[in-house]
Amino acid sequence: MPLPPDHRHDGRHDHPRSTASIFGHPLHPMLVPIPITCFIGTLITDIVYSRTYDMQWANFSVWLLAAGLIGALFAVITGMTDFVGDKRVRNIAVAWVHGIGNGVASILAIVNVFVHSRDAYTSVVPTGLTLSVLTVAIMAVTGWLGGTLVYKHGVGVSR
Amino acid sequence: MKQLLALAAASTALALAACSGNAGSTAAQVGGDPSLPKPKQYLFPPMKIAAAKGWGNGQTPSVAPGLKIEAVATGLKHPRSLYVLPNGDILVGESDGPPEPIHRPKDIIMGLVQAHGHSPVKAAQQITLLRDTNGDGVADVRSLFIPNLVSPFGMTLIGHDLYVANTDALVRFPYQGGETKVTGPASKVVDLPGGPIDHHWTKSLVASRDGTRFYVGVGSNSNITENGLEAEKERAAVWEIDRATGAHRLYATGIRNPTSLDWNPATGQLWAVANERDEIGPNLVPDYLTSVREGAFYGWPYSYYGQHIDPRVMPQRPELVKTAIPPDYALGSHVAPLGLAFYTASNLPYAAGGAFVGEHGSWDRSPFSGYKVVYVPFRGGRPAGKPQDVVTDFIGPDGNARGRPVNVAIDKTGALLIADDLGNTVWRVSAAARTAAAGTGRGKSRPG
Repeated sequence: MPLPPDHRHDGRHDHPRSTASIFGHPLHPMLVPIPITCFIGTLITDIVYSRTYDMQWANFSVWLLAAGLIGALFAVITGMTDFVGDKRVRNIAVAWVHGIGNGVASILAIVNVFVHSRDAYTSVVPTGLTLSVLTVAIMAVTGWLGGTLVYKHGVGVSR
Repeated sequence: MKQLLALAAASTALALAACSGNAGSTAAQVGGDPSLPKPKQYLFPPMKIAAAKGWGNGQTPSVAPGLKIEAVATGLKHPRSLYVLPNGDILVGESDGPPEPIHRPKDIIMGLVQAHGHSPVKAAQQITLLRDTNGDGVADVRSLFIPNLVSPFGMTLIGHDLYVANTDALVRFPYQGGETKVTGPASKVVDLPGGPIDHHWTKSLVASRDGTRFYVGVGSNSNITENGLEAEKERAAVWEIDRATGAHRLYATGIRNPTSLDWNPATGQLWAVANERDEIGPNLVPDYLTSVREGAFYGWPYSYYGQHIDPRVMPQRPELVKTAIPPDYALGSHVAPLGLAFYTASNLPYAAGGAFVGEHGSWDRSPFSGYKVVYVPFRGGRPAGKPQDVVTDFIGPDGNARGRPVNVAIDKTGALLIADDLGNTVWRVSAAARTAAAGTGRGKSRPG
């Protein structure tokens, strides 16, 4: 049943659009689990290394960081595209906090991959482990806000 | 976020630029009491490697006054080690390390950086014999002496047994004297720590004067234990091996990479040059020349230059560090000494009893250090005075590397031989015309 013409623009059902999408399916939410999972993994393997001094755990950490950063690159590109692509997204204050927060987390992860490229103990303790904790802490908040953008503000939700 | 990423890239570039500042010369870091700054840790450690260019037509390294230099042989395949046989024939180990496994993303980057300063010529993994039949200093016979070796480095002859230290085993070949090709089969004396990591792969080798024992320098399997402590078993040590049984024990430990061994002619003591750790600053840690004392611990990995703790090693072993002794003589940070030969002849204008050291050159500091051959004067069997430049200008005026010195040896006439693994040449340094005639034939072959 076709909707009445004015109904599409009544603001209740016309949600902010996701620009980076395929067949109306937003890409950003599919990509964010990669950095989230990898950076949480980094924190776990960092903690295990700091308790065992077994270098293989530190090696896991740096590969997880590298993989997480590659995932983050695509998450940032699609996220930025959604942010820039629809003014209604930019008008949501939470979107700014979400984006800036994840930008900070990405920078910390970039610094962290260099710290983790040092040799042996000081590649993890104390700076690397601290950065891993901060990255995950920030992503816990920004990830929550990402959920707010979709479930509350309906960003990318089809009409 | 893009701006933030750009900011991240910019800050990384800044960190890089800040780190590659001028670290000054290593002149304050030679001798018995080197200056040691506080260790630093980097986001991006300083790296500066001279691009491999090779020697142009007729180009040679420069030599100190009173000396001349000529190529004994060119077009070799990555010559690293030298040994002079009693009849004057020169054995050249054309060798390089086995490929290393990739444990971290960093290993990929480091491989690319190091390759930039390496000769594009693939090492032949063999020993070539050079013979000068007419005494003009240039080899007129070149023969494949032993093919198909496993990253060979150390060589020594006892009677009719020629011993070669492959990276994974000490092996013996029959040698009658005078032949240009070894025909007999190899027999293994003992396994040495090899792969699968084999980070510092060169196995330096000397025999005791009575020919009953060997001393083998076995380098660490990492910069500073980043491959795990298990990978360091019986490494960073000088092995003593019984010639008859192949049984071994650790003669001295805590020497990160003892790349060349020789006997001090005045005292009869074993001496070594060693490469120290990287990535805690352009002026840490000085590489060194030292007597190798039986049972002594020289610090690696827990401490450097005696008891300066390295914070990168965990768990630490304070009770072991308390026993660590400093080496005798600093050569400067990152000069990368890979060759040591005490002088026992009289052809050259250098007093017998001193030591020639081949410095392969730095890759992690600016300006470069090393890339030359120096002479360390000795008095009464101990180093006495600063190192003197003997052979220089391995880096050209354009800042590219034309050659990199590795092993040094004294030939039968008392001239100095240098293996150049970037220029793929063996150089011979002798006294300039006037004194050369007087010195000919008075030399002795290298001891050991």
